[in-house]
Amino acid sequence: MMEHRPRRILLVDDDPSLLVVLAEQLRDDGYEVATARDGQEALRRLEAGWPDLILLDLMMPRVDGLAFARHIKAEADLPIIVLSAIDTADSKARLLDEVAEDYVAKPFHYPELRARIQRVLRRLGDRIPRQSVVLGPDLTLDLYRRAATVAGKEVRLTPTESRLLQALVAHLGEIVATETLLSRGWAETEEAEPSYVWVSMRRLRQKIEVSPDRPNYLLTVRGAGYRLVASRQDV
Amino acid sequence: MSDRPTDADATAARPDAAARPDAPADRLDDSRGPEAPSNAPSFRVLLTAGLIVSATLPIAAFGAILILTRLGTDDQVVVPLVIGAIVAAAFFGLLVAAVAVAGLTAPLRRITTAVERVAAGEPGPPIHVSGDDELARLAESHNRIAAEAGRRNRELGALLVAVARYNPDRGVDALRVQAESDACAIYGLIDCSVWLGDPEAISREEAIPGDPRPVRAEVRSGGDTLGVLVGHLPATRAWERADQDLLDLFTSEVGVALRNAELFGQIESQNARLVELDAAKDEFLRGVSHNLQTPLTSIRAYVDQLRAASEEAAQDRRLLIVAEQADRLTRLVRQLLTVTRLEAGVLRPEAEVIAMSPRVRRAWEALNAGSEFELRDEARGWLAVGDPDQVDQVLWALLDNAVKYGGRNGKVEVLIAADETIDRLHVTIADHGPGVSEADRDRLFTRFSRGATQASGEGTGLGLYVSRQLLLTMGGELWLEPARDGLGAAFTLSLPGEPPGDEG
Repeated sequence: MMEHRPRRILLVDDDPSLLVVLAEQLRDDGYEVATARDGQEALRRLEAGWPDLILLDLMMPRVDGLAFARHIKAEADLPIIVLSAIDTADSKARLLDEVAEDYVAKPFHYPELRARIQRVLRRLGDRIPRQSVVLGPDLTLDLYRRAATVAGKEVRLTPTESRLLQALVAHLGEIVATETLLSRGWAETEEAEPSYVWVSMRRLRQKIEVSPDRPNYLLTVRGAGYRLVASRQDV
Repeated sequence: MSDRPTDADATAARPDAAARPDAPADRLDDSRGPEAPSNAPSFRVLLTAGLIVSATLPIAAFGAILILTRLGTDDQVVVPLVIGAIVAAAFFGLLVAAVAVAGLTAPLRRITTAVERVAAGEPGPPIHVSGDDELARLAESHNRIAAEAGRRNRELGALLVAVARYNPDRGVDALRVQAESDACAIYGLIDCSVWLGDPEAISREEAIPGDPRPVRAEVRSGGDTLGVLVGHLPATRAWERADQDLLDLFTSEVGVALRNAELFGQIESQNARLVELDAAKDEFLRGVSHNLQTPLTSIRAYVDQLRAASEEAAQDRRLLIVAEQADRLTRLVRQLLTVTRLEAGVLRPEAEVIAMSPRVRRAWEALNAGSEFELRDEARGWLAVGDPDQVDQVLWALLDNAVKYGGRNGKVEVLIAADETIDRLHVTIADHGPGVSEADRDRLFTRFSRGATQASGEGTGLGLYVSRQLLLTMGGELWLEPARDGLGAAFTLSLPGEPPGDEG
């Protein structure tokens, strides 16, 4: 899927050798790359124009990575992929839920990183709401912090579930094809199959529907895909 | 016979009865004594008999004199008259006795009931007995005893409530201050202080009449004397043996609480120190991992770039080895990090759906072991539920073990199967090595343990431990299959599974 205009990526990492080789690899894949070695330099780069995506090492010196990411998110819905020695299972990674679109644990293989970048860029244009989305009396989605409130109880969403719901929320009430959900939920390196979507939807219903057997919000459109709707019982 | 003599004699009988308070007092004394004779005539019987005798005796005497001196004109008249008078007097005495007994024993009954109540531990209101005779004094002294018993009961209750609140986590100083104010409140002390140290360092005060009365009790825990409680009572307050006992009880409870607080404080500070050390270790490992993983990332990236540059480079075994060893190092560093996170309890794995078959295959390819490999998937369409990164770590560790312990050119076999009854997915990884000896089976999943048969120095000894702990955090399990002939070790990992789905 070639774009008519090259996607711009801002790469922020304190390791100059990684910066050079990663920038080269990304340019080889057709991206326009700007680099910065710390938060201050990154902020200066942003003044010259906003990229489509930021690749960010959180342990960079000077401006703290998390503070930088929060600053960016306060300005615009700009996707950030965190490159980090912290992996997703670390409880500290939870702090990043609100700012990071995805994590790639260091060290990574370049093809893996490329697959993640492509997955994130696919959602460009889909705005991720920064506040709660109230779908009915018993369902509120807080996707920016990977949570839902179901009949008054908070439910945690996995990164994949959150990505799937983002795609559905962006087209609220419309059918989203299973293929689209597949490409949003999983990177190409994961060789995902449609059954991933089916099983994930079944699990999502268990989480967010009050009666999963008679869903109110997450509806199947046979042979086409899925639809997220505001509650039909809504008054 | 007639009403008249009754009235006259009743008034005469009353002072007589009232003048015998020693009888009931004796009886009280008797009943208090442990060996009161059970066949002694009761007070009621004695009184009645006394009254009858005192009423009939003068009449009988008078009659006898009349008869003996023959003053009576006619025996026929006098004798029946005298006998009639004696009988009437006897009846009259009986009647007076009944009334007197009732009147006399009422306050006694009240006293008895009240004493019994106090003995049973439930003091009631004070008894009112008018006058200032022995009965009234008895009631008064009972009232005083009851009031004191009540006060001590209240003190004991307050004491129990107070000591129940002495949590060791409040610290020695706070408990000491609390005990001082509790002692003042419970015992009505004017002032009170708890000294920790040798009690003899605090000199004993003499009680001077008219001045506040000094009280003192040692604070003990077990056989140790921790200190002493000293204070003063208002001069008017009585202080008896029972009061001292109550105070001793309080100080012994305080002693136990203080000792506990002391021990708790030591544990707390040791814990705080451990937490500090642990945080330092964590921070260190985080730094190390960052500083190791960042260069590894660039090594990996440059090797990839070099190998992609030309056909010749792609075939170069040396570059391949650099790439593989960089990956290997990466995984070992990650394993070490995982151990620290497991132990800090900060690992929060996600529950994503994952397909096991491609993951196993990818993990195997990443190992690039070169030995024979067979993957059988008997759970087509099933997905496991777990954290993809952590499951990858487990698969890598188990496959790496199978290669390492599987012997030269040992074939590695993997079977994926579903248990549909409990919705679980099992992955069994088997090698054809020597297997696990009986001695090793028990300590297989502990930290830093390697098979005894294996030369030391290979691997971190963490693989199985980390794998099992990771699986446990994901609701999974890891076990060693029973030994089988001709086959090596076989490990099965189990994870929650999702049966094949449809669009539904």
